[in-house]
Amino acid sequence: MRSFTQQLLNGIFIGSIYALFALGYTLVFGVLDVLNLAHSAVFMIGAVVAYSLVALHGWSFWVAAPAAIAVAGALGLVIEYVALRPLRRRNAPPLAAMITTIALALILVALVEQAKPGGALAWLWRDGANSVKFPPHTVPNDTFHVGGVTLTASKLAILVISVILMAALGYLVRRTSAGRSLRAVAENARAARLLGVNVNRVITRTLVASSALAGLAGILFGVALSDISPYIGRDQVELRGLAVIVLGGMGSVTGTIVGGYVLGIVEVMALLAFGTNVRAGVAFLALFLMLVLRPQGLLGGAAVERV
Amino acid sequence: MVGVAVAALVATACGSSGSSYKGKTLQFGAVFSLTGPGGVYGAQQKLAVELATEVINRKGGVDGAKIAFRIEDDASDKQQSAQVTQRLIQEQRVVGLLGPTLSNSAVAAHPIADRLKTPMLAVSTTGFNIVGTCPYSCTYIFRDSLGEASAIPANIKTYADKAHPKTAVLLFPNDDKFSADGAQVVRDNVAKNNIELLDSIQFTKAEADLSPYVTKAVQRNPDVIFITSLGAIPSKIMIEARRQGFTGQFLGGNGFNTAAVSKAAGDAGKGAQSGSAWYSGNDFKANAEFIRAYKAKFNADPDQFAAQAYTGVLILVDSAKRAKLTFKDQAGDRRRLRDAMEKTSIDSPLGPFQFTKQHDVDQPIWIIAMDGRGGFSLVSSLNPG
Repeated sequence: MRSFTQQLLNGIFIGSIYALFALGYTLVFGVLDVLNLAHSAVFMIGAVVAYSLVALHGWSFWVAAPAAIAVAGALGLVIEYVALRPLRRRNAPPLAAMITTIALALILVALVEQAKPGGALAWLWRDGANSVKFPPHTVPNDTFHVGGVTLTASKLAILVISVILMAALGYLVRRTSAGRSLRAVAENARAARLLGVNVNRVITRTLVASSALAGLAGILFGVALSDISPYIGRDQVELRGLAVIVLGGMGSVTGTIVGGYVLGIVEVMALLAFGTNVRAGVAFLALFLMLVLRPQGLLGGAAVERV
Repeated sequence: MVGVAVAALVATACGSSGSSYKGKTLQFGAVFSLTGPGGVYGAQQKLAVELATEVINRKGGVDGAKIAFRIEDDASDKQQSAQVTQRLIQEQRVVGLLGPTLSNSAVAAHPIADRLKTPMLAVSTTGFNIVGTCPYSCTYIFRDSLGEASAIPANIKTYADKAHPKTAVLLFPNDDKFSADGAQVVRDNVAKNNIELLDSIQFTKAEADLSPYVTKAVQRNPDVIFITSLGAIPSKIMIEARRQGFTGQFLGGNGFNTAAVSKAAGDAGKGAQSGSAWYSGNDFKANAEFIRAYKAKFNADPDQFAAQAYTGVLILVDSAKRAKLTFKDQAGDRRRLRDAMEKTSIDSPLGPFQFTKQHDVDQPIWIIAMDGRGGFSLVSSLNPG
């Protein structure tokens, strides 16, 4: 029972990271019908910049984290102006945008992995392909043992921050004028434009918000899992992020949140039920079944409401 | 200050190969993982090869012949490793090669070098069947990196003799040859050291959060957790296991033996023990001079992977000077280099070094433990055999 509770907590925790990461995917997919595959690189940059400011430049984590989120948000502008808007102007198919965002991701990962002491980017990163962690005591990270179950402050904080952020995002999308514009563009960009919505501005804001979320998720990942490297986005969360938005129904915010937690919990339950060899396999089997039997996602009706 | 070992090699070269080397260039190649997950190790290897090249050429090269290394990145990818190996041999016409960085890549790259009859010296691949009992002839393949099949049993025995652990759990990613081979060595050696293996917990390299696996391991209450893995995985497991209350011993293999892993593990890794090909604290001449030269050039400490790559260059250079190369008959030169490599006997940063008949390492094994501050301390050393 202790093991079950611990594993359930493990699943809920990693589900929070999956959901937070995948929210950025789903926001952009909702308004653009494009998978922004540079998202995983922005996730990594968020963690790398925060680490750099703390470990290399001596900043307090509480200043470094917002600065890193701002840098990640600014990368959203780069994605929009470099990789997406030029293609939209000439009505390029969504596949072209996937390719340009993949290229951007590869460039960002390569820049970080090539950064070495004495190099041009040494102010940002000096560890090449190595994995590093925040210096000890960067954030209070006490460990609690309650009834045989281990809880760490960082993981609890991530859970709380994720829930607050997801609730705030849900409120923003449903209840504010900016959210209404977002939903209008997601539903039909041409109709939204005719109604006076500045579509390009909505898309730009969405990319900035989505990238800032990715940056935040990257920082939380780095704090909780003691793993910051050029590959944390690409190798560890990208595929699962895609799985989450399929589970949740492509483009649905609520569905993505539920999908994140479902995937996290299904993975650890698979581990308990079938052993360690098949954990990832069972999770992706669930994804496959979802695509075949319920392609609209967990929460979807006949058609998922976008964003 | 040029190393005495290097100076001795160069001096011997003057005596053995006559004047035919003068003004020529000995073109070697190296296939390293400079990007991708193996970049943790490949970057150090590249620096070490550049250092060795500079030191040897500054001393006059090999009987007047300069040495040059063309270093290619295989991006930690098996197919790319095979492609760049073939390109170096056929287009750059190298006489011999170092690499690749990862065992996973070696299974693709080494058969190509062997088929093209070009000596290739593995400087960090420690998995099974790299040399000796390969699934192909492998007569042109050598290894100067201590295999897991030697390092892990020595480490287990050293710890078991001292602490008499009763139970253990093994954690490893099953989609990586190095890790899976290491895991097999652990399984083959626990019983003979009176350790019961309670569980073998497998996962994939791309797992974001290893907590569920660590939970499964810790709740078996083992005396020892074995980790046979590379990159960030060992440190992540150690940190999480300590958080979950594990107070026992971590034992592992070559994946522990780099300062980056020790630094990432920090306090959680203190005492984590492994068998190593190299120990930075050894003060015998070849090692002391290597470390001094490395620090002077890069203002950083070398690690085991740098020491093995540096030794790899010394082996190729020592062999080239004894091989009586013609610089005209390329196939013949590659064969002569291979024959000379079989008779290697040098003092290296790894210790006195020779090859076995199977072209494998014959050198001391250093049992080391993480010091909790990004470094290592020496536990003991074992002689080969």
